[in-house]
Amino acid sequence: MDYRRRSGSVGRDNEKEAEMIRCLVVDDHPAVRMGLLGLLEDQPDFVVLDAVATAEAAVAFAESNAIDVAVVDYQLGGRNGLWVSRKLKRLPEPPRVVIYSAYSDGILAAACVVAEADGLVSKARLGSELCDAIRRVAQGQLLLPTVRPALADSMRRRLGSDEQAIFGMLLAGISPPEIAHTLGFSAGELESSLWTMLRKLERLEVEPAELLRNRSWVGTRRPTRLLTKG
Amino acid sequence: MASAAQSPERRRYVPLFHRVAGVNALLLIAAVAVTIIVLAPRKISSFASDEAVVLVAALALVVLVNLYLLRRLVGPLQALTALARRVDLSLPGERMPTAAPASEAGDLALTFNEMLERLESERREATGRVLAGQEAERLRIAQELHDQVGQELTAVLLVLSRVQAHVAPEVRSEILEVQDAVRASLEDVRRIALELRPEALDDLGLISALAVLCERFAERSGLAVTQRIADELPELEPETELVVYRVAQEALTNVARHSGSERAELKLDRVDGAVTLSVRDAGRGLPVGSAPGAGIRGMRERAALIGATLEISDVPDGWGCEVRLEVPLEVPR
Repeated sequence: MDYRRRSGSVGRDNEKEAEMIRCLVVDDHPAVRMGLLGLLEDQPDFVVLDAVATAEAAVAFAESNAIDVAVVDYQLGGRNGLWVSRKLKRLPEPPRVVIYSAYSDGILAAACVVAEADGLVSKARLGSELCDAIRRVAQGQLLLPTVRPALADSMRRRLGSDEQAIFGMLLAGISPPEIAHTLGFSAGELESSLWTMLRKLERLEVEPAELLRNRSWVGTRRPTRLLTKG
Repeated sequence: MASAAQSPERRRYVPLFHRVAGVNALLLIAAVAVTIIVLAPRKISSFASDEAVVLVAALALVVLVNLYLLRRLVGPLQALTALARRVDLSLPGERMPTAAPASEAGDLALTFNEMLERLESERREATGRVLAGQEAERLRIAQELHDQVGQELTAVLLVLSRVQAHVAPEVRSEILEVQDAVRASLEDVRRIALELRPEALDDLGLISALAVLCERFAERSGLAVTQRIADELPELEPETELVVYRVAQEALTNVARHSGSERAELKLDRVDGAVTLSVRDAGRGLPVGSAPGAGIRGMRERAALIGATLEISDVPDGWGCEVRLEVPLEVPR
């Protein structure tokens, strides 16, 4: 597959820059951060703008720099990767977000949906798979493990009735503006609901990555919201 | 454990009851004989047979009454000895009947009960401390594995991915093998961390944690695990949830290791005033006459800690063995 032959839908001014995927690396572990930096800089179509250790530094960087994909460790010591994702998605030109996590399971995937992250990659994946995921996400694909119905049900029990509706619609791939419209919420109200939901659902990694071992990456659903975004 | 502590040099002796009863009977007979000889020496030769019968009957009656009174006094002592021999602190709650007559023996029974009470509560506290320490240690190790070993392996994996692109093709396959080995270690580390500490329990509560446990267990062991979790379950204390979770974990492990069964069922239900966890298999049932292993003792100890009871028994209708934990909602402490 030639990822560089993407359509010009990214819509950048500079043609050369549009060819390159501008990345931000966020990981609190120095060795992982260096490893990520080395790997991504080695890719001909990636340019790593910065590698930071904290959630706050990531958000601060993204506020003043245009990035395409943020690769964010889920556990960052203080605030986690999902917090970063929600913050980044509120920017005027939100980047894609790949959560790079020790576990990548259905529960965390559901929390990623609420945080509007685009991808979830297990740290047990090969570097080439991570790069592949970054390229796909940059193209607008959504790479989240599916949430099994039984698990979604047990998570739903933790939410209020409005929140359950929002959660269901997010899982179905309906975009936040549409959800706000359907429920008659203002953007601010939906935003605060999403934060509340995230607080209820986050810190959730539970299943080992091997549960997802046989799950195909390619078959992941592609909700319209991500294809029409921006 | 009580039976194991039995001292080997315990000597045989004539029981107190027999000794006192024997001495009393002899004394009575001697007293009667002396009385007859002293008071009516000449009558001995001319005893009518019916008088002799009355005398012997009266004597027997007196001896019997003496036996009965003695039995009532000494009986509690024998019951006490029996209880002291079989008492098992991991199955608490067994006591002497305190309706014993007011006597030293009754007093001893009361004191014995008080001592059991004290031992059980001390044991509960000690077990609680040990288990809390164990859980804290597990959490620490899990975090260490996750935050240090796991991250470093991830870093190695990333470096390998990068190096792989730069090396000669003949070395590449070896690097791929190393990558696979690192990945396998990484997954092992994560699995061990998860087993040490069920994060789902802290984050999602017991029901989801059990659901995840069953799925993971089925995945790894190949057992078909059915979950039957009731809808309306009361909120449990975190301490209680941890005990239920650990018992379920241990019971499923036992099914996979010992039962020979290919399926298991985990049921969490509410019956009046209690929450019950039942884990059953379709295996060969309990081995006959075997002492409970460390796993079962551990489950019992955890159960005792929250005032719950644990029963392990064979169940009919195509099932093998069942572990059943009953957690009273109002915990008597």
